[in-house]
Amino acid sequence: MSSLLGTMSIAVGALGAEQGALQATTNNVANANTPGYSRERAVLTENDPVVVGSITYGSGVSLSKLQSVRDPILQLRIEEETQEQAELNASVTAMQQAQVQFTSSSGDIGSMISAFFSSLNQLSSNPTDLALRQGVLTAANNMAGAFNNASRNLTQQRSSIDLQVSQDVDQVNVLTSQIATLNTQISQLQGVEEDASALVDQRDVLIGQLSSMIDVSSIQSDNGLTLTTGNGTALVVGGQAYALSTQTNSSGLQSIYSQGNDITSKIGSGELAGLLDVRDQQIPTLLSNLDTLAAGLANSVNAANKQGFTLVQQQDGSLQPGGNIFVAPPAGNQGAAASMAVAISDPTLIAASSDPTAAGSNGNLTGLCAIQNQATIDGQTSEAYYSNIVFNVGNTVSNGTSELNSSKLILNQLQDQRGSISGVSLDEEAANMVQYQRAFDAAAQVVTTISDILYTVINMGTYNG
Amino acid sequence: MSSVRVNPYPMPDLLTALEKLQQQQTSDTLELGTGSKINKPSDDPAGAAQMILMQDTGSQIDSYNQSIGSVNGQLSTADSTLNSVVTVLQRAIGLATEGANGTLSDTDRQAIADELSGIQSELISLANTSYQGQYLFTGTADSLPFVADQAAQSGVTYKGNAGTNVVAIGTGYQIQVNVPGSQVFNGSGTDVFQSIHDLISALNSNSGIADAARQVTNAYNYVTAQRVFYGNAMNQVQTQQSFLSTEKVTLAQQENTTAGADVTQVASDLSAGETAMNAAMQAISSMPRTSLFDYLK
Repeated sequence: MSSLLGTMSIAVGALGAEQGALQATTNNVANANTPGYSRERAVLTENDPVVVGSITYGSGVSLSKLQSVRDPILQLRIEEETQEQAELNASVTAMQQAQVQFTSSSGDIGSMISAFFSSLNQLSSNPTDLALRQGVLTAANNMAGAFNNASRNLTQQRSSIDLQVSQDVDQVNVLTSQIATLNTQISQLQGVEEDASALVDQRDVLIGQLSSMIDVSSIQSDNGLTLTTGNGTALVVGGQAYALSTQTNSSGLQSIYSQGNDITSKIGSGELAGLLDVRDQQIPTLLSNLDTLAAGLANSVNAANKQGFTLVQQQDGSLQPGGNIFVAPPAGNQGAAASMAVAISDPTLIAASSDPTAAGSNGNLTGLCAIQNQATIDGQTSEAYYSNIVFNVGNTVSNGTSELNSSKLILNQLQDQRGSISGVSLDEEAANMVQYQRAFDAAAQVVTTISDILYTVINMGTYNG
Repeated sequence: MSSVRVNPYPMPDLLTALEKLQQQQTSDTLELGTGSKINKPSDDPAGAAQMILMQDTGSQIDSYNQSIGSVNGQLSTADSTLNSVVTVLQRAIGLATEGANGTLSDTDRQAIADELSGIQSELISLANTSYQGQYLFTGTADSLPFVADQAAQSGVTYKGNAGTNVVAIGTGYQIQVNVPGSQVFNGSGTDVFQSIHDLISALNSNSGIADAARQVTNAYNYVTAQRVFYGNAMNQVQTQQSFLSTEKVTLAQQENTTAGADVTQVASDLSAGETAMNAAMQAISSMPRTSLFDYLK
């Protein structure tokens, strides 16, 4: 059925299709800088041909859909890497703060331990000198102060991380509820075969943000998108968001709950995992190491002091035996660093003498000084034990930083790939625009021509003259 | 569109590169400023741990050095005190020879005996010498070592004890820093104060003066021999002092190897970094500002 009107309708259809394609181009250009936007492509399809007798006529073009160009697998990889990076970023940042306590300075624990033993050494050359004895007490106070400080700062840091955990949980809840809403809208649109790519892009951005908080696995099914944590705790199922909550646990910190279950230790990546790792593993280890060191020092110094005799004369004329120099550490050593304190303020109570009848003896100082080079703490000297703590902190930060750097690199490459697939290229859009415009011009020209022919046809039967 | 599409937005890549360069520049600058390549444990965890141990060793060396200063003071004061004791005893020997002269009158001998009493007081005062509040010849007691006492046989009582103190002047290296007065002034049948006391009695009674004079000479020889301890100890201390300063230098070299900034290297890294940063910024600024759109029409 080759008819002029049929041809006309093909040309008009082409006008519509090219116009639609131009609209996709316009939308791409408009969203060139929108984060997470995936470029759209006009999918033009040939209409079903019409067969008349032995001839098959083409019947034009139609715009079948505007398709977003995206790679879902790549998107998943980006989400995974985002989680990884966020976790590393959170833990490295926190540990960088923690390592300040262990950075070599005139007031760090290591130099304070050295200074304490140095003061004992000085006393041995003049064991009755009160100024030197006072020097020992001052050095002991400084050492205790260094332990108190480091321990207190780490505890404070843990509290602020705890606060951040609560805030992150709130943020997760906001994101999951937004994603659930988008899920509903997307499935409504898809239910009526409408294009939902704008909403899918928005959802991808939100899932990206969620990924930086917590480990997210997404499963696409017929009834929409399901998001769970790595261990299977549901976050979003279709249009339903499952909010997380926090509860204060026995150590006064926030545990994370999902529908009554404590999932704190089950969060595998994302910022929350990084924060929880530092809060529940790294800082407690550091604190307990400091406790071991502080308690070990206090106990050995106390024990050695008890072996000797002070300057204080008893009723029978003999010298009073030495007692504790440091307040005895708590049982089990927990909090020993935070509570380390000097038990005496009277310098004569330092038991320098090893002879209850000789105040000028320095015999017991040999024992006190020897602690410095004795393996009294977990089979190590105090300085070696301390240097191990420093090594571990430094190593954690240093390894974390290199992992973070390589994760950044990977994420960059993935984003690059995403850009090369889904990013809007203005050159390309310009070229497409010209292409569609030319096609539109041509179709319009066809309409004009058919119109002229029709005019001729209409006037064909008119008798003129 | 079969050709490979490139990412139309390379900006984040370039910014990451720029950020990395800036971080490197900051740490290089810090390294130059502090002269140390370990400014926090993560800069070099093993190095930071080593530095702590080396700083502890350094602090121990410093503390041994301080002890050496104080011990050396004690030893040399004791030694020069004994030198004075010896001189005083020499004078006593001279007086004894003079007193042994049979032509002397009682008055003359009395005068010599009086002078010897003065010498006895002088010796007591020397034996009670202290250094920075510590009596040098009292053993490990905390009291005035020698007190004049008429009731005592020698006229002098020793209030100190027989203890000695040792002081560490190196790791595992202790040195005895004193000899009790009971040993310095009294031993192997000799007693400084007894000999003077006996000489005075002999002069007063004009009998056994030569014997008494011999006792003083014995005392003189005995005290002279005691000085050997102080001479040896001072030698040891000085040798140890020079050993410690060598050790300190070696330690400083090790510290420098572990943590010292390689200034020339860092400076050249810094300037290389600057060039790289300029290049990166150049790349960013020369990214096309136009697109095909600008050429249409």
